[in-house]
Amino acid sequence: MIKSSVDRYFLILSVIISVLVYASTDEFPGIAQKTSAVYVRFLAVCFGTLSVIQLLLNLLKQDEFERMDLADHLPRFFGLLAALILFAIFFESLGFFIAAGIFIPVIAYLLGERNTILIALTTIGILSGVYLIFVSVLSVNLPGPRLW
Amino acid sequence: MYQFSASIYPVLGCGRQLMEYLEIVFTLPALVTIVIGAFAGVIIGGMPGLTATMAVGLLVPFTYTMDPTLGLMLLGGIYCGAMYGGSIPAILLNTPGTPAAVATALEGYPMSRKGEGGVALKTSVVASFCGGTFSTIILLLFAPILARQALNFGPAETFLLAIMGLAGIVSIADEKTSLLKALLTGVLGMMIAIIGTDDMSGSLRYTAGLIELIDGVDFMPALIGLFSMIQMLELAGQKKHVAIDTSALKGPQKRSKLPKGISKYIALGSGTGTVIGVLPGEGATIAAFISYNFSKQISKVKHLFGKGNPEGVAAAEAGNNGCVGGSLVPTITLGIPGNSVAAALMGAFIIHGMIPGPELFTVYADRTYPFILSLFVANITFLIIGLSVAPYLARIALIPPSIMVPVVCALAVLGSYALNQSVFDVYLMIAFAFFGLILKKLGYSLEALILGLILGPIAEGGFSQGMIIGKGSPWIFFESDIAKTMWLIIAILLLPPLYNYYKNHFGARSK
Repeated sequence: MIKSSVDRYFLILSVIISVLVYASTDEFPGIAQKTSAVYVRFLAVCFGTLSVIQLLLNLLKQDEFERMDLADHLPRFFGLLAALILFAIFFESLGFFIAAGIFIPVIAYLLGERNTILIALTTIGILSGVYLIFVSVLSVNLPGPRLW
Repeated sequence: MYQFSASIYPVLGCGRQLMEYLEIVFTLPALVTIVIGAFAGVIIGGMPGLTATMAVGLLVPFTYTMDPTLGLMLLGGIYCGAMYGGSIPAILLNTPGTPAAVATALEGYPMSRKGEGGVALKTSVVASFCGGTFSTIILLLFAPILARQALNFGPAETFLLAIMGLAGIVSIADEKTSLLKALLTGVLGMMIAIIGTDDMSGSLRYTAGLIELIDGVDFMPALIGLFSMIQMLELAGQKKHVAIDTSALKGPQKRSKLPKGISKYIALGSGTGTVIGVLPGEGATIAAFISYNFSKQISKVKHLFGKGNPEGVAAAEAGNNGCVGGSLVPTITLGIPGNSVAAALMGAFIIHGMIPGPELFTVYADRTYPFILSLFVANITFLIIGLSVAPYLARIALIPPSIMVPVVCALAVLGSYALNQSVFDVYLMIAFAFFGLILKKLGYSLEALILGLILGPIAEGGFSQGMIIGKGSPWIFFESDIAKTMWLIIAILLLPPLYNYYKNHFGARSK
């Protein structure tokens, strides 16, 4: 996708959001009508106005065809993103240590690391460090495995 | 009133209290914490891709279970250490560990290529130490005075203070992020901050029925997502990682005394960095570059700049470390973060129930002053590290991203979860990272977004209370002398950049 087009979609969405937010303030109850609602309207007007100005500047600009590339290596980028979501999903059921024990080597491999000893040592080192520092010393409550 | 006056100047006015605070700093747990923080900061700062904001933001949730003073000391140590740490690979490998060390690399690396890496490293650490120490003295002297002024602030002035912070956002705008886009993302951050419970009526706003949003969008997951995870996503998405030139590491590096006349440039950088640090929104990178440019202007050997001039290294390093104390002045006195690292640190104060303002120097004086004093110890720690083992630490920059990325990601997930023990915060962090990256690619300022998110609740609280006091009339925001002065400052902050923006855009177009 072209960068300037994505920017235009974002700005159009911003204008729509600011209109919706402005309109929604009518439903604020009681005292909020004279306080919070005025503040929210102020923000909505600022946001909408700035978005419209930026959109106009964007439209007036000569067409640029620079592509919108989130990353040079998309499989790695989206692979990491998917792995993060899976990590979050299984975080509470598997617990931090099992989930991270799978996540770290998988991502290291995904990003091109082939030295298995280095991967293993890093994983063990990090998990031990987290256990010693955060669980033993700082008493941070981390979820444990809850498979059954 | 007497009690307050006596207690707001404990350091200046009362030697006994100063000794008490020093005693807190010089206990074994505190010293160990500061040394660990500063050492970790140097290591993190030395790793390209990892920044002080990322490190402090990542660790804030973990300090929740720590003693508040020790937790703050740890983060302060990391902040100081990371600001210096970035210069080591910048000088020896031409790979700045942090963006703030880019200016250092311009002179430091050519020095290393000439075999003067030892001199560059020494200049860098001494300048960093001087800049950091000077700015901490300023913090110690002026923060209580500024905090006392904050006592005169009513809701209207509090609202204007937040607007002033927002006006500071315009100065964040650089070549990559346009001024309008910086303002737009600042307001977007304030819009995100209205999600949650309305303090005035107790009703829920824009929560989409999610109970996790009742307390609003916590800014810690946002901070971790915007400043840690984005960097990891970018690193992961790179096709090829730039090969680092290690030739300077292998060659002999001359160790000698500091170059003559360097103190002038250290003083220049220290002053510039501290002043720039105080301005909301201005970061260490800008401080380093402005100090570097100033040194170029006053130098007698201008022609040596770019070819390995220690004057440039001294000014840049004193500048970025000078930013540390400076950025904390508005942060802990007015609740307006000087930069993104200070914003993360402010999060640490808040999660420990220490709301920035005068109370930090009265009710929580026994935590705040030891924290400020600990910054001196952190500066001494990295000075010792820098003078003894800096060349060996440069190898940290050689850690491959394939190892660094999964480790930082795992810690980011852990950090996002730890504060509220909520997986929802982890999803929030990932969402902020993904959409933040899109905004970054489009040229929007993420620093402005996080500042807006932090300033939003302050602005809303002040605005709503001001409207109640003013019985619905907005004139309350223009009545007091302080309010008028603040409007003037806001105008001074906004008008010149807006004029420049207009001139650059429309002036160029008409030509």
